[in-house]
Formats: sequence, structure tokens, C-alpha cells
Amino acid sequence: MFQAKHQLIAGLVVALAFAGAAQAQETYKIGISAGLTGYAATVDRAWSDGVQTAVDVLNEKGGVMGRKLEVVIEDNRSNPQEAVTVYRKMVSSDQVNLFSSGCVSAGNAAAAPMVAKSEIPMILCSILPKDVEWAFTTLPPAGFEIEKRFEYLRDKTQIRKVGVLHDPTPYALLQKDVAQKVAAKYGIEVVSTEAYKQEDADLSVQLSKMQSAGAGAVMKIGLGGTTLTAAKNLKQLDSPMLLLTSLEDLAVFKPVAEVLGDKFFFVASPSQVFEAYPDGPLKTAIGQFLDPWKKKFGDRDPNWASRGWDSVMLAAKAIETGKSFEGQAVRENLEKITGFQGTTGVYDMSPTQHQGISSNPFVVAQIIDGQVRIAQ
Amino acid sequence: MTNSPSTTSPEAPGLARPHTRHFGSAAVWALSAAIIGYALVFGGYMATIVAFALIYAVFVSGLNVFMGLTAQVSFGQSAFAAIGGYTSAVLTTTYEWAPLPGMVAGLVFALVAAFLIGFPTLRLKGHYLAMATLAIGLITYEIAVEWESVTQGYLGISGIPPLGIGPFEAVSDRAILSVLSVIVVILAFAVTRIRRSRLGRAFSAVAGSEEAAGALGINVSRYKLVSFLIAAAIASLSGSLFVHVVGYVSPEVFGLHMVILAFTMVYIGGLGTVAGPLIGALIISILPEVFRGMKDYQDLAYGVTMILILIYAPKGIAGVAGALDARRSA
Amino acid sequence: MTAAGTLEVVPPVLDVRGLTARYGHVEALKGVDLTAGRGELVAVLGPNGAGKSTLLRAIMGLIPNQGEVRFLDKSLPRRDPAGAANKGVVLVPEGRGIFGPMTVLENLELGAFAIGRDKAEMERRLNRVFELFPRVKERLKQVAGSMSGGEQQMVAVGRAMMSDPKVLLLDEPSLGLAPRVTGEILDTLGALSASGLPVVLVEQKAPLALKLACRAYLLSLGRIVATINPREVKSHDELAQYYFA
Ligand SMILES: Nc1ncnc2c1ncn2[C@@H]1O[C@H](COP(=O)(O)OP(=O)(O)OP(=O)(O)O)[C@@H](O)[C@H]1O
Ligand SMILES: [Mg+2]
Repeated sequence: MFQAKHQLIAGLVVALAFAGAAQAQETYKIGISAGLTGYAATVDRAWSDGVQTAVDVLNEKGGVMGRKLEVVIEDNRSNPQEAVTVYRKMVSSDQVNLFSSGCVSAGNAAAAPMVAKSEIPMILCSILPKDVEWAFTTLPPAGFEIEKRFEYLRDKTQIRKVGVLHDPTPYALLQKDVAQKVAAKYGIEVVSTEAYKQEDADLSVQLSKMQSAGAGAVMKIGLGGTTLTAAKNLKQLDSPMLLLTSLEDLAVFKPVAEVLGDKFFFVASPSQVFEAYPDGPLKTAIGQFLDPWKKKFGDRDPNWASRGWDSVMLAAKAIETGKSFEGQAVRENLEKITGFQGTTGVYDMSPTQHQGISSNPFVVAQIIDGQVRIAQ
Repeated sequence: MTNSPSTTSPEAPGLARPHTRHFGSAAVWALSAAIIGYALVFGGYMATIVAFALIYAVFVSGLNVFMGLTAQVSFGQSAFAAIGGYTSAVLTTTYEWAPLPGMVAGLVFALVAAFLIGFPTLRLKGHYLAMATLAIGLITYEIAVEWESVTQGYLGISGIPPLGIGPFEAVSDRAILSVLSVIVVILAFAVTRIRRSRLGRAFSAVAGSEEAAGALGINVSRYKLVSFLIAAAIASLSGSLFVHVVGYVSPEVFGLHMVILAFTMVYIGGLGTVAGPLIGALIISILPEVFRGMKDYQDLAYGVTMILILIYAPKGIAGVAGALDARRSA
Repeated sequence: MTAAGTLEVVPPVLDVRGLTARYGHVEALKGVDLTAGRGELVAVLGPNGAGKSTLLRAIMGLIPNQGEVRFLDKSLPRRDPAGAANKGVVLVPEGRGIFGPMTVLENLELGAFAIGRDKAEMERRLNRVFELFPRVKERLKQVAGSMSGGEQQMVAVGRAMMSDPKVLLLDEPSLGLAPRVTGEILDTLGALSASGLPVVLVEQKAPLALKLACRAYLLSLGRIVATINPREVKSHDELAQYYFA
């Protein structure tokens, strides 16, 4: 078996070498496994459009090292089994060179060993699959969103007791653990931790528990309509607690702000508060993305798309550094990227760090009179 | 007419079946073999699709025993696939067991669960049973999500070793496809045997009419339970195969999606037939790929094809083949 | 009820006492008494919805019921149809209960499910059925669902006989059949009872049943309203009186 594996790899390398020589002028294919339908649809459609925007912009400038880029996108229906199938299709039929895949963590994790065996780098929207040296992610570390909220409470309010309200998704669970671990560093105590499900239509039980535990603010971790539910429940309870929620599509937040007004806060990425964001290299980087994005999509929320854009720019950077399109070279050069200014922050990769965003770019924001602004 | 119980006829009433030719059925098997053969030779993503199809063929074979042979409805078979899959996954990763003992442990758990669930629910009839089984599927899904310390919730369990016994490991597409094909053939053979056996007769009597079967001395609830246990064991096997082939498991794998797909496969293939689960699983798995090029019209084309098959082959593909054979031999 | 006093009495093989059954809130059987002894063919008559089928189902234990059913001087458990059938109480259900997709032979073999793999015994019983219904023998390999109604009814009765019953319950075997076939089947039943087998025959076609029966129970709204000696029924009008009473 071992022998056979070696032969297989040797064969693959030979095949790739030939292909490389023969296809020097062929396009460099970027595959996207995205949940265009199913629960990840909002996020993954935005991510995919971000990838496409980046590819269009690079192609207009002549591509990367003279080679044009091409996007191959397949719908994984937000399902891990479908994801394995479409990954496999893009590997063997489309022969993509790199993956910039969406936020269906389970699908990326399920396909990762197979993709690694084919020696194709993947830059993801989701959390990193375990033990896969071919995968990288644009996802900010789980602590960032939490720490920004704690920082805000410490610096701008008297609140020192909070409740944590989270859904059961992997990223939410990671964040919940971080919240419990780092709260003390900010002089804050987590007095209550409650779980809910994405389809829950009432959260008043969890919220009442938090209030009676003495929480002055609710840290909600998780996406979707439950944020509005929480807001309505807080209003019904006539609760004095503040609501601080995770990063999310701005469209979701507008009705929440109408319910809770200035008691509602959320973590925002720099691209969401672009106008108000202080000048600097980050603002410049976002500007480069926002121009073509706005041309094409107008006022659509740029948050997830901006990370899709980053994934392409990271790949281009790795290719140009190594002067090679070959999978192994791209992988190694992705690991060498440091100080790269993306739209979501600065990326510092290393062989042991494939989750590259190293400085916290987020802000805590509010919507006052229909306008998004950085919270004071 | 006399009523003497003694018999005078020296001629034994024939227990042998008439000699029939099975061209239709043979064509179904040949088509299945051709599809698998294509995947074996050309590999590529067809290999992935056919491998998944074969795993589903295993799952659907179990469903077919319960739904086809015994005419009961269960929306909860995914629960037993989940039990098998997660037991295999946890035992081979956290506890570093070999795949085979892990699979056997999964089978035992699935059987225990099926007994505890089946004993009370199989007394229910019709849609009550269906509702109860639906609940079981949903509850198992919830447990897979919530019992994080063991299942790792939505994060899933990765690094599950490939199928293997001792030094042999099925890693390459060909090895995986071969192992799965052998399992599917063994199962088809077993289902043939079951159908002809006393057990199978009892199943089809229960399927025909529970009242008539009961009035003839067949213990209806016991045979329903046996059928349920067989289906659960096969479902558990398919769950284990899935996690070893993919190397990863998360709750979504065994969701309602799985049940809907399996139902489509069993009806398109032919409910209650031996070849139905295999051909149904292969066709339902390949169709979307055939239409993938049509992008936005993929689902529409898939749906139209499905309706056409059900109009022209209401008993499924293997069912139509079997009917042709019956007409030919009559 | 005038006729009851003059009936001859045979020690009962099947003795039903105060049997009641309900579907939800509807009480379909309200304390029915009935007996059938060796060599007796007893008829149960009554209009649609009287509870005739319910009575047979309740005796078998196919539906929840209360009361007592004594069989060969032992009490039958009230909710164990398979147990009852294995002891020798066998029902040919309304609508025959033929397994359509199976062959005639397979149907017959299912009747002798309890004997397992005893081939010699299986053949002995099959031959006995062929004697009762010679036509069935020619059709062994035919799919049962494709046979005519009369043939199916013969298979249904034959299948019941395969279990070697000690008492035979039949629910409207003449339903939907031509008079000639009906006559043939009823003759066979008459012969069976004459050979000693107790038979309980539910029938709507009262004149036919009365020709064979030694006793007839008239069921209405879940109660036995009359027990009739067929030899004392002189005309249709007299019977109609009971129906509309
Ligand atoms: N499964 C059932 N659920 C509810 N009610 C029922 C059911 N079966 C029968 N009944 C009711 O019980 C009563 C007796 O029905 P049963 O079938 O025993 O009548 P029957 O005398 O056999 O009539 P028929 O001559 O039409 O066969 C009827 O009022 C009928 O509507
Ligand atoms: Mg009736």
C-alpha cells in the first residue's frame, strides 16, 4: 500500500509537470466550494462575489504574472457530502489550481484530506480543518470579536457583569470558550452562559436568567434572525441590559436597531464602517476593494465579500513571491506571507500559523438614526 | 366430495419455481456493473460519486427490507446510520480502535437502540409509526450536535482512518470502490435469501395485510421488529462505511437530507426488489452530475427526469425489469 | 326469541360470552354470546354495520375487546391473534385477505406457517386443500392477485384450512361472487362442518346461509337480537321482520 501511494504521488507529480509545461498560457483556476443554497447561502454568495470581484480586477490588469485567472464555482448546498463531491469534481474534472472556498466548515473539513492529497492549496472563509497543512483561512481568530466587546465595556461603560448567549456552531463555541477565558483580563465577569438554536423563536427564558444573574449586557454570539428575536424579547422584558452582537450582515441589524435604539451594539469590520474609519493603510486597502465592489453591487454589505477578495490577493501574493503557480510552491509561499495588508486586517502567516490575521481590526458600532457609526 | 384428510395423490405438489428467464433483471445488474466499472477504470470524481452511491445502496438496502419487504414506513433510519457512523468515528479516533471492531460496536449500539425504539413504536400503525420514527431521526441529530464532549458538535470529527483489516487499507479509489461493491453484492445476495426464506414470507404476509397475517398465526409485531432490526443493522453499517471512506463526520451527514435521498432512491430503484437499492442509488447519485452543466436548470432537469421515471416506471426501474421478466415467462 | 328454546345442544368447541368491543367511543359490540360445537355450522346474520365483522375480529383478538372466549374449555387470551390462530381458531377475513403479489402456492404455504420446515406435513395439508378445491391445484404458480374473485375465495378458505383449524371463522365469503361459485364454496363449507369442523359463517345472503346452518344468530347494532332455528323459518317475510325490528 505504501509503495502504491508513492507511485501515485510520483505519477501525479509527473502529470502535473507535463500539465504545467503544456498549459503555461492556460488560465489559473480558482475553485470555490460554496453553499449557494442552504444555511450558508447569504455568507457564501457574498464570499463568492468577493472572489469574483478580485479575479475580475486582477484580470483587467493582465492577470497574475501574465496568466489570467478563472473562477470555477460549485454549489455544495451547505452539506458536507455534497461538498466532498464538488471538491472532487473541481479537482479531477476542472483541475483547479487553488481553492478559495466558503464558510461551510464541515464541507471544507470533510474534503480537506482529499484536497491535500492532490496538493492543492485552499484559502478558506471557515475555521481551519484540523491537521491540514494545505489549508489557510482568512477568518479572524475567535477572540477578536469577543475582546473588542470587552474592551468597549471596560473603557466606555460601568458594566462589569455580562451574560454570554451563543448558538451551537463551531465558531460560536470557540468564541464562547474565549469569552469565559479572557473576561477576567478586562475586569469583567461572565455571570451566565446560555445556548440557543438558530431556529429558536423565543429567547426570553435565557435573557431573563442573565438579567437575574445580574448581567448588565448580553454578548450574543451567532448569526441570523435570532438577533432580532433577542432584541424584541429584551424590549418585552423592559430590560436595562445592553445587547452586543457578533459581526453580521448590516441588513440584519437595521430592524434590530429600530427595536433597541442606542442599547444595541455590534462588532463591525472596517469595511462596514469605511467612512468613519481612521485613515491609514487598512483604509487604503479597503478602498481598493470597495471601489469595484460598489460599482458592481452598490450598497450591498461588503464584509464577507472583502475576505473572499483577500483570499485571492493572498494567493496572487504567494504566486508572485515564489514566481511559481505550482501547488507546493504556492503553499510554501503562503506560509511566508507576513505584514500583508488585507481588507480585514494584516495577515502574518507561518508554517505553524495558517490563520493569518494578527491584529484586531474590528470596532464596536451602532446604528443611530439609520446611520452606522463607531460607538462612542 | 369427501372430506377424508388422507391424501391419495402420489404427485408431490411442486415447490420448485418455474424456469424463468431474467433478461430484464440481468440488464439492471449489467447497467449497475457498467457504471461501477466505468468509475473503477476512469476514476476521477465519478469514483467519489459512485462510492457515495454504493454507501447509499447499503443504507437503502436496509430501508428496502423494512419498507419494501415488510411495507412499513420509517423516516428515522438515518438515526441508526448516525449511531454506526459516530461509534466508528469516536472509537477509531479517540480510542484508536481498528475500523472493524469499531464497526461491530456501532452495529451492537444500533441494534440495542433499534430494539428499545422499535419495541414500543412498532405497535403503532401507519402514520403514527412514521411520525415516531421521524422524531427519532431528529432527536439523534440533536444529540450529535449537543453531545460535544464526544461528537464535537458541528465541528465534526476528522482524521478517521480508512477502511481496513490488518495491513490492508482501502485508500485508493479502486480499493474503496471494490470493497463497497463486494459489500453491496453480499447484501443483495442476503436480501434474496431473506425473501425466499420463512422470514421473508412472514415479512410479505405482514406487508400484504397485517390482519390477514395475524389471523394466520403470524406474530405481526415480532416480525415487524425483526425487520426493523435488520434495517437498523444495515443502516449502521452504511454509517460506518461513510465515515471511513470520507475520513470525517459531522451531524449534517445524517440529517433529513439523507432520508429524503434514500426514499427517492428506493422508489426510483424499485421498492421491494433486490436490485432496486443499487440501481436507484446509482441513478439518483449520477443524475445531478449529468445535469451539472445546466447550472441553474440543474434542479429543474433533475425533477423532470424524476417525474418521467415515476410515470413510465411507477414500480421503479428494477420493478419494471422484473415485470417484463414475469410477462416473458408467463 | 321464540325459536331459541327448541334448538338442539352440542357441547361447544367455541364459547363466546359477553364479548364487547369499541372503536374509539363507538361501542360496536355490546355483549355478544355465541357457541359453535363439533359438526355445527352456525350463521351470523345482520344488516350492514351490525357488527358482524367486528365480532369475528374480536374473537380472534385482532382488535381490543372485553369478555370471554372459551375454546376447548380454556380461556383464549383477548389480544393475541397469532396465539389464537396457532391454537386452531382461524379466520378468513372480509375481503379474503389474499396476498396478491404472491403465488397461490405461497399463499397456501403461509397458511401452514406454524409447522415450519416439515415438508411431509406440508404436502399432506396441501393435498387436503386440493381435494376440497381441485381447481386450486391447477393454479399453484399463478400470482394470486390475478385470479378471479371466486378462485381467490377458494384460495382464502384453502389457506385457512392449511393451518389445520379446530374452528373456522368466515366473514362473508360470498361477497361479490356469482351464485354458482358461491354455491360451490358454501357446499364445501357444509361438507367441512359435516366432517366435524365447527364453522362460524357471517353472511348477508341469509337464505343461502340458512340452508346450511344448524343455528343462526341475528345481530343488530352490536347485539344478538334473535337466535333462529333455520328449520322453523318458513318465509322471507318472517326473516325480514327481524331485520327491521
Ligand atoms: N376501524 C373502524 N373504526 C371505527 N369504526 C368502525 C371500524 N370498523 C367498523 N366500525 C364501525 O363499527 C360498526 C360495525 O362494523 P362492522 O364492520 O363490524 O359491520 P358489519 O356487520 O361487518 O357490516 P358489513 O355487513 O357492511 O360488513 C359500524 O358502525 C362501523 O362503522
Ligand atoms: Mg363486515
